Amino acid sequence: MSTATLPDRTTGTSGTARQRPSFVGTGLLVVGAVYCLVPVVWVFMASTKSSSELFSTFTYAPSGNLFSNISDLSSYRDGLFWRWMVNTALYAGVGAGLSTVVSAMAGYAMAKFRFPGRGVLFNVLLAGVLVPGVVLAVPQYLLFAKLGLTNTYWAVLLPSLISPYGIYLARIYVSAAVPDEVIEAARTDGAKDLRVFSSIVMPMMVPGLVTIFLFQFVAIWNNFMLPFVMLGDDKLFPVTVGLSGLLNQGSQQPAMYTLVITGALLSILPLLALFLLLQRFWQVDLAAGAVKS
Amino acid sequence: MRRSLRGSLVTLAVSALLLSACGGSSDSDSASGDEAVKPGEKVELNFWSWAPEMDKTVEAWNDTHPDIHVTVNKQDGGDTAVTKLLTAIKAGSGAPDLMQAEYQALPTLVGSGALADIKDDIGDDVQGHFAEGVWSAVTLGTDAVYAVPQDSAPLMFFYRADVFEKYDIDVPTTWDEYAAAAKKIHDEDSKQFLGTFSSNDAGLFAGLTQQAGASWWGIDGDAWSVAIDSDASKKVASFWGGLVEDGVIDNTPMYTPAWNSALNKGTQVGWVSAVWAPGVLAGNAGDTAGKWKVAPLPQWNAGENVTGAWGGSSTAVTSQSKHKAAAAQFAAWLNTSAEGVKALATVSNVYPADQQNSAAALTESPEFFENQDDFYDVAASVAGTVNSFTYGPNTNVAYSAFNDAFGKAAQSKKASSFTEALATMQSQTVEDLKSNGFTVK
Amino acid sequence: MTSITSEPNSGTVRRVPDQTPPRRRSRVPKAPYAFVLPAVFLFVFSIAIPILYTAYLSLRTVKVEGLGLGPGARTEVWAGLENYAGTLTDRDFLSSVLRVLGYGLVVIPVMLGLALLFALLLDSVRVRARRFSRLVIFMPYAVPAVISSLLWGFLYLPAVSPFTYAADQVGVTLPQPMAPGLVLFGIANIAVWGGVGFNMIVLYTALRSIPTELYEAARIDGCSEVQIAWRIKVPIVIPSLIMTSVFGMITTLQVFAEPTVLRPLTNNISTSWSPLMMIYRDAFTRNDIYSASATSVVLAVATFVLSFGFLRLVQNRAFAQENR
Repeated sequence: MSTATLPDRTTGTSGTARQRPSFVGTGLLVVGAVYCLVPVVWVFMASTKSSSELFSTFTYAPSGNLFSNISDLSSYRDGLFWRWMVNTALYAGVGAGLSTVVSAMAGYAMAKFRFPGRGVLFNVLLAGVLVPGVVLAVPQYLLFAKLGLTNTYWAVLLPSLISPYGIYLARIYVSAAVPDEVIEAARTDGAKDLRVFSSIVMPMMVPGLVTIFLFQFVAIWNNFMLPFVMLGDDKLFPVTVGLSGLLNQGSQQPAMYTLVITGALLSILPLLALFLLLQRFWQVDLAAGAVKS
Repeated sequence: MRRSLRGSLVTLAVSALLLSACGGSSDSDSASGDEAVKPGEKVELNFWSWAPEMDKTVEAWNDTHPDIHVTVNKQDGGDTAVTKLLTAIKAGSGAPDLMQAEYQALPTLVGSGALADIKDDIGDDVQGHFAEGVWSAVTLGTDAVYAVPQDSAPLMFFYRADVFEKYDIDVPTTWDEYAAAAKKIHDEDSKQFLGTFSSNDAGLFAGLTQQAGASWWGIDGDAWSVAIDSDASKKVASFWGGLVEDGVIDNTPMYTPAWNSALNKGTQVGWVSAVWAPGVLAGNAGDTAGKWKVAPLPQWNAGENVTGAWGGSSTAVTSQSKHKAAAAQFAAWLNTSAEGVKALATVSNVYPADQQNSAAALTESPEFFENQDDFYDVAASVAGTVNSFTYGPNTNVAYSAFNDAFGKAAQSKKASSFTEALATMQSQTVEDLKSNGFTVK
Repeated sequence: MTSITSEPNSGTVRRVPDQTPPRRRSRVPKAPYAFVLPAVFLFVFSIAIPILYTAYLSLRTVKVEGLGLGPGARTEVWAGLENYAGTLTDRDFLSSVLRVLGYGLVVIPVMLGLALLFALLLDSVRVRARRFSRLVIFMPYAVPAVISSLLWGFLYLPAVSPFTYAADQVGVTLPQPMAPGLVLFGIANIAVWGGVGFNMIVLYTALRSIPTELYEAARIDGCSEVQIAWRIKVPIVIPSLIMTSVFGMITTLQVFAEPTVLRPLTNNISTSWSPLMMIYRDAFTRNDIYSASATSVVLAVATFVLSFGFLRLVQNRAFAQENR
């Protein structure tokens, strides 16, 4: 699994006695895994049910309506759901990508340069972690409205580009993964600062960049308030806001539970695939800042 | 370098702050002007609505009005669209031209300057399409007209006819009979309830007190009065509190998966709701189609014939619209033309407030009630009996106070805490009005 | 820390080392400023200005004339510290703060305890099914809180819950996770479910940076796996635990999505259950953005005070090698 970045300790030189499997340990770990699977399995099962089965049959009993549910969802308002999926990919993908670059640049500057204001700047940026998105949503809306940017892609993308946490992680990764000597050598060869950054520093911190990317990706995908407040046109919604709308229909209409559950399943799947693909990069050492390579 | 960087950051921040802080009032002034439309130019209107299939309903207008094109942006139901509109008004831009607004939200919206007065932009004959009570909801008792009524939602009583037949119960015509029926049903099968008291639906509770003669707010010259804990409201609160205390009706909220399941499984066998209920029942309890019937709401005094309302909404033109006249023209068409009303009733599934065209539009019972031919006759017979009711400028505060106070009361299952909850609502609502500088009598 | 501290602090890259005399000030490099510029610009635009604006709004309020119906009947005026006085004396606010602190005392130890347990198990050679478990336990991190709360809500409601159903079949009555006394634990469970995997990865990463030789030596001395875990591994990951606690604390004080999604399902979650829900209610339902702003500022300051000590501590540890 993690062979590219971590030597697997199981294949070490330990004696056979210590290789004896621990039933208690394995049991505990499997119980933890099962606990984490409970709601996920439920959403798989529930999305195979028709709307009346959803509320009348045993929760974990599957049924055969998955494909008709998917086709109902796809035909809801001419395939609006898929538009939401594309929007989500755009907000989270582009947002996280650009945010990673911004964080890497800032992190690099703060890890490898000494400059007046560095300490203050870092503290101020980091204090941004303390401010919850719910609190920022309204003033951000009022500010964006002045600029005429509400109800556009920019309204969601721009505030997603700054990630105090990403800058924090980037600083850790750069100082851990990029030795000063390498940068110095490049400079001696006459490389400019930007070139040092793009062709020496960035490649050396790829695992860190992937982590920051995923981190910010999840953060954007989790941020419900920002798009909820900023967007009026449902063609611009990300999938979370769209699904929540299907659920909160007001008192005069039934909530579309079947569509919401099927939509929830379909929207989690791509993210799970992304995680599977990139999981070997997932190492976050918050305290020591050590990424072994 | 250090100083200049810090200095410029502060300048940037402060100037942006001033920009955002001071722009508000001047912007909204300039935005409220109606821009003249040149002949042959196409007007684009945005319409925020949460009614189902509103975009299809609007197609009929777009087909016949090539110079005024209306685009529907579907919104979440309930408070969220109002919130978004108020935020956009505060920001000075971002509001749509037209907005579906529930009657109870109108005083708040008008007070925030969110809605335009369209009195001069709609025809004189529009008023004649609506019952007096409905019309006063869109004028707020002033000379202005802030919206065109769209749908009305008189309360009725929905029940499982098969269950009533099985236990040999007559359809209740008074609340006493309702209580007796609820007890009988729960005695026959301890899992069955004739209803639930839901702390999530202040609108329903307000409608029930409306039937009993309450009006939560009132205008007294230049002052507001608040009568949430009036005797009429107390009567309603202790009635439902008593039923919950006796355990003959349920105390869990409506519109939850548990409630859907109970409707579907037949453990919730009655529902006090409004005329739009068939759509909700069909969506949540499809298996019980053809088993439900509707009757007028039970009365407090035998022989009376009054009801309240739960929901109902209007089409308003926002103060930020640059094409107020065109927008008002559309609002009038949607809610008073034969074509618009028919589309509202058959495509968007709402019960039109228009009295002249709705009979022609509503000829057949909803599919879910195909066992009851006279569904819309019952509806029409109660639609004119809605008691008058005044909503206040902080209805939203009263409603959120309801959620918390009655949530606790429903959980405690004590009739006395229901009337205490009413007092809590009253004091919170009055306090909020006062702290905002309203005169309260 | 372990892998970097050994590096010599050459300082060659730093053009202006600490001991630089003042006369060389003019040679301050432009490059680092260019690198931090995008971040600074975005920070000012998306975070700093909105925060300043919130602070401004917290000092304002709306005054109404007459019935408040005509245009211009509501005007924004200075309120001084009125909104703050209102927030700090609001019993709902104070009880929501206490409730959330209690919630934090449940969530953080349970979440980090489980995360540490799983991380140690993942790091143990004797445990099987590690690859599978690591992936599965981490998976909930990919599920947005809005969706995970909806899923758990279904599992909590007695009428549709498979657990209640199964318990009924065998004649057992289960405690209801949304009952008055238990709803805090019901919400905590969702947070633990969503957060344990991420923290597990953090701690696991820290464990993998421990040199294997340490264990070998301990094993030769006759230590059992459990003793190694408790005496060697746990002390070494304590810095990571401190960091995860800080971030756990910040997220806990900001709990919002889970109770908001569950609220319509039960009578037992009020609209001011957590401070952030109250801010949301005031700003969005009650349209009183001014009180909401004051409450936001109070909450942000409280969060800052609580986590400030931790942050300093962490910085000193994490960047010790740079700042020396």
